[in-house]
Amino acid sequence: MTHAIRDPANPTPTDGPPTGRAEIRRQEALLKTGALQDAIFNSANFSSIATDAQGVIQIFNVGAERMLGYDAADVVNKITPADISDPQEVIARAKALSVELETPITPGFEALVFKASRGIEDIYELTYIRQDGSRFPAVVSVTALRDAQDAIIGYLLIGTDNTARKQVEAEQQVLSQRLRDHQFYTRSLFESNSDALMTTDQFGIITDVNKQMEALTGCTRDELIGAPFSNCFTDPARAEAGIKQVLSEKKITNYELTARSRDGKETVVSYNATTFYDRDRKLQGVFAAARDITEHLCLEQVLQEKNAALLEANKELEDFAYSVSHDLRAPLRAIDGFSRKVIIGYGERLDEEGRRQLQVVRDNAQRMGRLIDNLLAFSRMGRREVVLQPLDMGAMVTGVADELRAAEPQRSIVFACAPLPRAWGDAAMMRQVWVNLLSNAFKFSRRRQTAHIEVGGHTQGGECLYWVKDDGAGFDMQYAGKLFGVFQRLHREDEFEGVGCGLAIVARILQRHHGRIWGEGTPDAGATLHFALPLPSVTPPVTQDP
Amino acid sequence: MKKHEQELQILLVEDNAADAEMTMDALRQARLVNQVQWVKDGAEALDFLFGHGAEAAAAGNRLRLVLLDLRLPRVDGLDVLRALRADERTRRLPVVVLTSSHEEVDVVRAYDLGVNSYLVKPVESEAFMSVVGQMGLYWMLLNRAPGDTR
Repeated sequence: MTHAIRDPANPTPTDGPPTGRAEIRRQEALLKTGALQDAIFNSANFSSIATDAQGVIQIFNVGAERMLGYDAADVVNKITPADISDPQEVIARAKALSVELETPITPGFEALVFKASRGIEDIYELTYIRQDGSRFPAVVSVTALRDAQDAIIGYLLIGTDNTARKQVEAEQQVLSQRLRDHQFYTRSLFESNSDALMTTDQFGIITDVNKQMEALTGCTRDELIGAPFSNCFTDPARAEAGIKQVLSEKKITNYELTARSRDGKETVVSYNATTFYDRDRKLQGVFAAARDITEHLCLEQVLQEKNAALLEANKELEDFAYSVSHDLRAPLRAIDGFSRKVIIGYGERLDEEGRRQLQVVRDNAQRMGRLIDNLLAFSRMGRREVVLQPLDMGAMVTGVADELRAAEPQRSIVFACAPLPRAWGDAAMMRQVWVNLLSNAFKFSRRRQTAHIEVGGHTQGGECLYWVKDDGAGFDMQYAGKLFGVFQRLHREDEFEGVGCGLAIVARILQRHHGRIWGEGTPDAGATLHFALPLPSVTPPVTQDP
Repeated sequence: MKKHEQELQILLVEDNAADAEMTMDALRQARLVNQVQWVKDGAEALDFLFGHGAEAAAAGNRLRLVLLDLRLPRVDGLDVLRALRADERTRRLPVVVLTSSHEEVDVVRAYDLGVNSYLVKPVESEAFMSVVGQMGLYWMLLNRAPGDTR
């Protein structure tokens, strides 16, 4: 700017003093013609304000009128540019310049032109105040106007409205702050994850990692980024295969690798990884999370050991049950047998009460024998291998019911069996289920003049559901929890015989089949026992009881 | 219980004295008692059957039935059975297991070794008397074994 004023005719601004009087004359002529002024002052996009040496406005162009809302007549010879500038900024500028130039500068017009007055090119930002009081940011370029003797005769202040730029700047600032916030958020998500995270490009070259990944590999982020992912593992080929699998299948889960850190420490990790994309759905690479499963594996091993110990203990218990049942039977047989011998051989020497008491001994020995037999049967159901096959439950029920009716031909029983869905189970065990459930129904309905027993079933929600309903003695739902316990009885033995093992055995069998059993009852109105077996498609592999 | 008597025809291998006594009661009730020799474990049984001396051989020759308990001290019942089946003299001798064990695995093993029958001793004494008595009558009177001259 300075050059343009001093040497407006020179197209290539080379610094240098005017050369000779001819040159000065030429300049004066140019100024006099007004060509330069016209060019500058007719620009509506620049406010051009010229002052005298004291700062009083002498020229106020169209651009200035438009920007500031004053008519030239309102300001010319009346005010200085300081009067249309933010006074606080003027004061601040005066202070700053005083410090910078180490000379006191008065807040006011001097502060606006001081640098220019010293021949220093000066462009600064400032807030102009319009006639209506509104404000706008401006960029102002100040040039001192000099006469032929280089004395200052005034100043030219050319201003541009900086509002749009300021807005853009402000928006950019907001955006970049938002970007920084977002980057921080993403980064902190990435870093605060307890898994070792990384991204790779589609060739398996690491593009980003978090601190956990640094810890896992013993390498810094800078060392890792740009290196092949597979380097970090004991089996690079398997790692490569993992990346390939992610790329072809879009994800992998629980892919086990052993990471080897720089210092040789090995960590078993389980990878979950997916491909990730930009907004245009263009593949960017692979995002992979590694979870340290060393502890998990360790726990698994402990679990396996505990399980083995449990199986061992269970086997010992089974052996114990076997041996106990075997060894207990003999003395029981002797108690019963020899009581009988006493009754037969010496009965005449005993009175009625003596014989009755011996009979009590015998009854109890026999009862204990049945308890042991049932306990053994219960235990056997836990040990026996379950052999699954399709079962015609309808035929099974009919067969069992026929046998039970034949055993009590004198009874009046209305038996109804609806069509039953086929099941998937162990034939012998499932038959035992029906025997026990139907025996109970027969037994507990014994006191009815005519007993009603119904069997039904249907498929529902991946299960085959069956039920056996009788109108017998029933039970109080208050005691429903005891239905399936070993040696749990809900009726006195002098009402209904039995040792209380039948439903426990049924429950055990259903448990071995991953099924369920439950019962409903009302005292003296009847009971309904329901059980459910999973359909083949949802049957998990049958396991031994722990 | 006298091994030299001509009518000795049943060998009872039973370690439990009460069971042995009741078994013999049952056989007595079936009028078979005088034909019984009782030994108390597997080793004694093997010694009786295959021991040195003419006595053992003579006794072995007069046997028509072995009643064998499974759980025995020293030599187990199944080992006795194996030995019986391995020896030419007793290979076809009817053997009935008379035991407390309901275990399927015991039943299978006994059959695999060639047992002729497997009975579980009932705890209830009437049933016990009946089962043992019927078994004795069947094997001693009804069954025909190789070499029977009746």
